[in-house]
Amino acid sequence: MSLVTTQPDRSVRMPDLKGVLLSSEFGLFLLIVLFGGLFYSVSSGFLSSFNIAAMSRAAAINIMIGFSMMAVIATGGLSLAVGAIGACAAMTCGWLLQEIGLPWPLALLLAIAVGAALGAINGVIEVKTGLHSFIVTLATMSLFFGIMIFLTQAQTYRGIPADFVSFGRMKVMGISAAMGPTLIVTAALIVLYGNTRIGKEMLAAGARPEAARLSGVRVGRMIVLAHAISGGLAAIAALLLVARNGAAIPSMAGNLGQDWLLIAFLGPVLGGAVLTGGKISVIGAFLGAVLVTVLSNGLLLMQIGEFWLQACLGAVLLLAVLLDLARRNYLERRAKQ
Amino acid sequence: MTEIAFETRSVSKFFPGVKALQNVSIQMRSGSIHALLGENGAGKSTLIKLITGVYRPDEGQLFAGAQEVHFNRPHDAIAAGVGVVHQERNLIPRFSVAENMAMGQTTIDPLKPIDFRRLNELAEPWLDMLGLSIDPAIQVSRLSVAQMQMVEIAKALSQRTRVLLLDEPTASLTPTESQALFDVLHRLRADGVSMMFVSHKLEEVQEICDTVSVLRDGVNAGENIPMRDLQRKDLIRLMIGRDETIPEARRRQASAQSVALELRDLSTSFGHRNVSLDVRRGEIVGLYGLIGAGRTELAKTIMGLGALTGGEILRDGAPVTITSPTDALHRHRIGYVSENRKDEGLILDHSVLENAGITIWRRSANRLGWLSRSGVRMRTVPFLDRLAVKTPSLHQKVGNLSGGNQQKIAMAKWLAAGVDVLIVDEPTVGIDVKSKAYLHQLLRELADDGTAVLLITSDLPEMISLADRILVMDEFILKGAVANTRDYKAMSQSVMEHIHHSTDELRQAQAASA
Repeated sequence: MSLVTTQPDRSVRMPDLKGVLLSSEFGLFLLIVLFGGLFYSVSSGFLSSFNIAAMSRAAAINIMIGFSMMAVIATGGLSLAVGAIGACAAMTCGWLLQEIGLPWPLALLLAIAVGAALGAINGVIEVKTGLHSFIVTLATMSLFFGIMIFLTQAQTYRGIPADFVSFGRMKVMGISAAMGPTLIVTAALIVLYGNTRIGKEMLAAGARPEAARLSGVRVGRMIVLAHAISGGLAAIAALLLVARNGAAIPSMAGNLGQDWLLIAFLGPVLGGAVLTGGKISVIGAFLGAVLVTVLSNGLLLMQIGEFWLQACLGAVLLLAVLLDLARRNYLERRAKQ
Repeated sequence: MTEIAFETRSVSKFFPGVKALQNVSIQMRSGSIHALLGENGAGKSTLIKLITGVYRPDEGQLFAGAQEVHFNRPHDAIAAGVGVVHQERNLIPRFSVAENMAMGQTTIDPLKPIDFRRLNELAEPWLDMLGLSIDPAIQVSRLSVAQMQMVEIAKALSQRTRVLLLDEPTASLTPTESQALFDVLHRLRADGVSMMFVSHKLEEVQEICDTVSVLRDGVNAGENIPMRDLQRKDLIRLMIGRDETIPEARRRQASAQSVALELRDLSTSFGHRNVSLDVRRGEIVGLYGLIGAGRTELAKTIMGLGALTGGEILRDGAPVTITSPTDALHRHRIGYVSENRKDEGLILDHSVLENAGITIWRRSANRLGWLSRSGVRMRTVPFLDRLAVKTPSLHQKVGNLSGGNQQKIAMAKWLAAGVDVLIVDEPTVGIDVKSKAYLHQLLRELADDGTAVLLITSDLPEMISLADRILVMDEFILKGAVANTRDYKAMSQSVMEHIHHSTDELRQAQAASA
């Protein structure tokens, strides 16, 4: 007999039930069902076809925003500039369509490229200076947004082709078509982090840069790449917003893009991402963003007002972090026994 | 002899899979300085943690004076008059000296506003006692490292400490500062304080300590020996230890093989000067030295993490420039098992499979970057099996495994990578005997299969049982080579001579320049 001490690996083919029930993804799923039921019992309009379409459209955008933050969290950083980058990409797209008259698929691709490039700038600054991404992106958030406002003179581009806008308003089986791109990106990210060298190296670089570096991972390059992916995803989120609004508006993500920040952190953190890096969950971030969307939509239906909504979402973030801490402590103890 | 101030009687401490301390007895006397020596992983820090109430002993007793004591938390130790000055500073830089000294004192009413003048007045006598002319109101961040250390000692004394533990207090001090510290320690000794002095610098230990205990692999190798009976070489012998059962390994004939890695007159930004060595295929070359001799830094330079200021590195006879570990691994097939398993060797939060596979992701991915899980598993599991890694599943977090299993995984990832040159840095520190034997056997097999191994270890028995040739490094310079005769006594003698000579020369040089 060989010294086989690793048991046959059950968790791939047949995940053990207890593990699933303890996962943060399952917890989120329960919360979504719970709150969905609660809101439905209070207001039957919650599950009306109109509201389902509206919620799925909002969710599609919120999920993308969360992903764009998650990409940076994977390497142990964060990006305050996701909103600013999104706005810059959206305005690029609007300008290309209205002023240059490019065909819209090409304009979309270029806008995503601009988003990725702006993200990469963040990454390069972080790696070259050794500053924390918080400081770097705090600065570039203002920088990118300011330059964008200067170049566009803060005007709104309304020359968006009808095809593109109608896509944003289309429904497939009662669900907003905006979910399409989001689902494709979700699948791509699952593959990226689970099944590619680059994804795994980004996570390794985030978990423990010294160990990753000594194992042959180019840590700096991975950080730049993560920021570039983040920028590209922020651009996609912004383009979905452009399709919904039928216009590229400089203030679409609030002043300096700050309106995105709470949502950007909520999705991945609810989904079980570790803020110090090295661990994320694509499905978790997806469900986290869905939960946030359900909560905001339901609370708005209950007419509690925009300000209370923000307070509630903030409370949810805190609660989620505490729950996650308790869950991890429990798992830790179980593993030690 | 003076009375005993603090004593451990046959204390033992076990961690899962490791006996950190076994039957260790030391006696610290009033008005005396006791040295605690031992190589890394010998159990010094565990012992300090037992004495200061961070850990509780699994067996044995602690006595403060004649009274048996049970410490449940660090506070209990402080209350019993035991204080410790750690290697890393434990002061709050933005607070004043007096505030730092008052911190943690329960006599201060939490509700009353702090009377800063009184704090300063309280601090003053202790600072004076140490001959420190610093204003207690000054911010700690404005002090020198040596002054901060004095403040820590003052703080300990102000808590009525009669037993003071000093953990490598001179590690970051200049010789003059160290001398000033020793003056203070002498004065405290005259006042009847009992001190324990932990250091790797044997000259210092000989200079100021009255008695010495030496730990080796968690047991007493020398117990409360008067310092005057010992010479430097005795101390080294006690630390390095003697292992009567050095396994008789088959001698390899590597001299016929080609040179896999060669350093020619290498000088580095770390401070190495003119280091020349070569490692042949199928050969284990040992690099011996005391802690801080520059061995790990040399390994990191080879891996592309240090700048060359002179000389060259040759791989299979051809000069190469290695700019990063990525370069070293993927282009030159050189691997490095770090001595710092927790920070550099492994990603503790990631799974066994992720850790063992990290070096081969790049090679296992297809052109689209797709990495099949089964592919990675196929290339890593054989090595995990070969090393008999014990884990409930491949998806277990490495941080939940024992030290021995962790080290096996740190090794397995380089086996999976299939490197031709493997640098192994302190491969068996802090791991259990059985894992140690496995790793030794594995290193021999690797060399037999043609891998060139550069072994860095401070464990002389390990060195003698594994290495074909032993190079001795001290102060970032290679001091010489010793052919391994497998005769422990003769080997330790000649290794010691190389180190000893170098320090003598250094002292002569210092005397000449002074």
